[in-house]
Amino acid sequence: MRFIRFFFALLITGLLVWLLQTPQQAGNKTLPALGAFFNPFSGFWRNAEPADVSRHLPGEIKLQGLSGPVRVSWDDMLAPHIFAANLTDAVLVQGYVTAQHRLWQMDLITRKAAGRLSEILGERTLALDRLSRRRGMGYAAENDLKGWQKSPENTRLLEAYAAGVNAWVEQLTPADYPLEFKLLGYDPEAWTPLKTALVYESMAETLCSRDDDLAATNTLAHFGLSTFNMLYPEWMPGQQPVIPDTGQWKNIRAALPATTIDAAGLTGVSEVDQNAGADQDMDGSNNWAVAGSRTRSGHPLLANDPHLSLSLPSVWFQVQIHLPDQNSHGVSLPGVPGIIIGFNENIAWGMTNVGQDVSDWYKLTWADSARTAYVLDGQPRSVEWRIEEIGVKGKSALRDSVRYTVWGPVVYDHQPDHALRDCALRWISHDMPERNTFDLFLSLNAGKSYADYQRGMNSFDCPAQNFVFASRSGDIAIQVQGKFPLRKKEQGRFVQDGSQSANAWAGFIPQDQVPSMKNPSRGFVFSANQHSTPPTYPYYYCSPDFDSYRGRRIYERLSAMRDVTADSMKALQLDNFSRRSGDALPAMMALLDRSQLDAGGKEMADQLAAWNARYEPELLAPTLFEVWFDSLYRFTWDEMYALREAKKDILLPASWRLIALMRQDTANVFFDDQATPGRETARDMVAKSFLAMQNYFRQNPEAKTDWGRSKGFIIRHLAQIDAFSRADVVVGGHRNAPNAISKNHGPSWRMIVELSDPVRALGVYPGGQSGNPGSYFYDNMVDIWAAGEYNELLLLSGPEAMPANRSLAQQTFSPK
Amino acid sequence: MKPSLYTILFVLIAGQLCRFGLPWWAIVPVAALAGWMFPQHPAKSLLAGFAGGFLLWTLQAWWIDQDNNGILSARIGALFMGLPGWALLLLTGFLGGLLAGFGCLTGRWARDLVGQPAKTI
Repeated sequence: MRFIRFFFALLITGLLVWLLQTPQQAGNKTLPALGAFFNPFSGFWRNAEPADVSRHLPGEIKLQGLSGPVRVSWDDMLAPHIFAANLTDAVLVQGYVTAQHRLWQMDLITRKAAGRLSEILGERTLALDRLSRRRGMGYAAENDLKGWQKSPENTRLLEAYAAGVNAWVEQLTPADYPLEFKLLGYDPEAWTPLKTALVYESMAETLCSRDDDLAATNTLAHFGLSTFNMLYPEWMPGQQPVIPDTGQWKNIRAALPATTIDAAGLTGVSEVDQNAGADQDMDGSNNWAVAGSRTRSGHPLLANDPHLSLSLPSVWFQVQIHLPDQNSHGVSLPGVPGIIIGFNENIAWGMTNVGQDVSDWYKLTWADSARTAYVLDGQPRSVEWRIEEIGVKGKSALRDSVRYTVWGPVVYDHQPDHALRDCALRWISHDMPERNTFDLFLSLNAGKSYADYQRGMNSFDCPAQNFVFASRSGDIAIQVQGKFPLRKKEQGRFVQDGSQSANAWAGFIPQDQVPSMKNPSRGFVFSANQHSTPPTYPYYYCSPDFDSYRGRRIYERLSAMRDVTADSMKALQLDNFSRRSGDALPAMMALLDRSQLDAGGKEMADQLAAWNARYEPELLAPTLFEVWFDSLYRFTWDEMYALREAKKDILLPASWRLIALMRQDTANVFFDDQATPGRETARDMVAKSFLAMQNYFRQNPEAKTDWGRSKGFIIRHLAQIDAFSRADVVVGGHRNAPNAISKNHGPSWRMIVELSDPVRALGVYPGGQSGNPGSYFYDNMVDIWAAGEYNELLLLSGPEAMPANRSLAQQTFSPK
Repeated sequence: MKPSLYTILFVLIAGQLCRFGLPWWAIVPVAALAGWMFPQHPAKSLLAGFAGGFLLWTLQAWWIDQDNNGILSARIGALFMGLPGWALLLLTGFLGGLLAGFGCLTGRWARDLVGQPAKTI
């Protein structure tokens, strides 16, 4: 009896422990092991950061690998200001403090890029992992690293950064693990230079992996050349390119290959799955610099706001790095040493994405039925195999063999009905960097002049960026920098024939001929992901991404500005005027017969007529207009939508084409509704879409609300955990306005630098320095950002220069 | 009454060992030890163990939560069906109580395996 009851109690206790030790399935959600997660000694409670965060920032830390002491002063935004005797020491400490606040984010980004999510998340991410691997993300990162390691200096820095991260990781006990590791139930692992390359490739994938080759090929085959050219012209009249033609290209025309691509010979029409949409939310950005001739102080001003998918933890990590011979402050990418966008005592720099197409598809002719060889110039050539072993939590690993050709990997041949199943991907990011990407950021961090900026530019390949520059000595400049394929006219717009080596890129645009501009007489330079150059630039390029509206607006505003101050720069970054809607609204109102509307319709039309195309959060008109314009867009391009519905990848015309047709060609055949026997015009489509809008709001009365709410803005947690996201932020803006806030994209960093003596700078990003949802600093800058306010960015001369009212903690790192 | 009080105090004090890298279920052997050392009616052992575990986990979590201004408990609460912070504290305490209660009972009955059943009050 005694034994029985003892074992009974033991059994119950054991079961209880087992139950609380095991992750539980609740519906489609996996709950963490409750005992491990809830116990207050090592579970989630341990991640609740004390309000006095300095208790997590001990004064003295021993760090292996340092050559001397490094001081770190933390400011009230939890930005570290690192004071070191040399760059290697600074980068070591940068790795350590970044890992302290962003370790899980660094792990997730590298896992996603490397196709290793399934190791922790199981089968549900397997398709995603497989695609990352088949696109050659790991292959690209390995090549990056090979290129970077040609320089001993860079190798040392990459290793120092990794050592810093690992010094943080090694002292963690499971109780200290970042919250997400506990939630998902896995352990952090060591950092390596390859992971830095993976972070880098993840950025490259975001910024330069898009192309429309298949859609353009399908569209051309379906509609024929003249319709294709009418609907998808490459140049939008009236836009302002990054670099205007000032006669600088007159002498380089002759160097180009003369042949044009034979568009009629293209194949590869098949079906593909893709989500449709009018203007897509795209990763774009704004930057500009204004010369002293236009500013009130006489000093140049520089501004940059890179628009990315907004997340928590944030894309950026703010840091100052002070060495005896350089002192810079700005934002870094967690996982990458140095500062990416920022300023120092002498210069400031910023970036926007160039967006030229550097990703092409080549249709292969297989030489055998097993597809182990393909034909190139009439000869069979064996594919090379890259074996990808994808670990899957709770399952056995998946071994995937990927074919590599002279062009690159065959990405989709694991999907037999995919239109690109027989195509190889030629992506510039796969190339081993010829020049050393890191040198750019090192040159900029340490730069003093335009010459340093230029020297840095020479080393930057990919992902191509519009680098804006301003110096205290009064120079402003912008350069479209990257490695750009030397293309025949329209080469790379469509899927190409991969059986001829003559179809390869003929080389790359020489570095001294990339578009560039210094101190233009107009007194400003700017970019907003628009065309790099006007059509007179002698080299051909294309893009699935060029923006047509923000650039025009910024150009209009900057041209009109005199006596520019930091406040005028703020106003432009926060400008909610959408040039697209400013163009579309009058055109639509002119075609709208208001006498046909009912009372509710008239009231809406009045609101719209009075609207100034500003996407202010408190207005209703933008909410109405978005539905109206979107309906009109879909009704007009119903031909394309019908094809896309049938899983055929078809290009959607740029919204400016619709606006231009409304103004110039109201009887265009595309205004005809395919579903009716009659022949409709733009007027009919405008009326029909207006009624559709009325209908929509009648059926969804809750949607008829101000723009700030209607937009559904959300800053998502990187693992899509709603409880760690911010969905309560009400902001204005529009993807086509300078303040390009859409549903979950927007200015990921706003920076304004005045190149005065001393330099003054402002900056803010929608997040916080800490990646820990249990920290005040997880999202403390979100509200500052949403209110359109900025923090002063401190460029300190030493740790003791930190103003008392902004000081959080002081640390000294010394050699172990 | 005394063994109950001792049990609770023992769990509260020895339970602090959990700070030092012990696995999260260390509260179970701690409570079992208390059940062994302070014999009483098994139902009372169970209850005292529960009370000790409940207090240990709730107080520790409460202390952390105060220091954090409830930032994390609000987020974790949202993760678990929108529980408010105080409910999260109670849930934490309940789990600790359950573990310690059954641990204590096991220890109590383990003592009966050696020699005569202990006299219970």
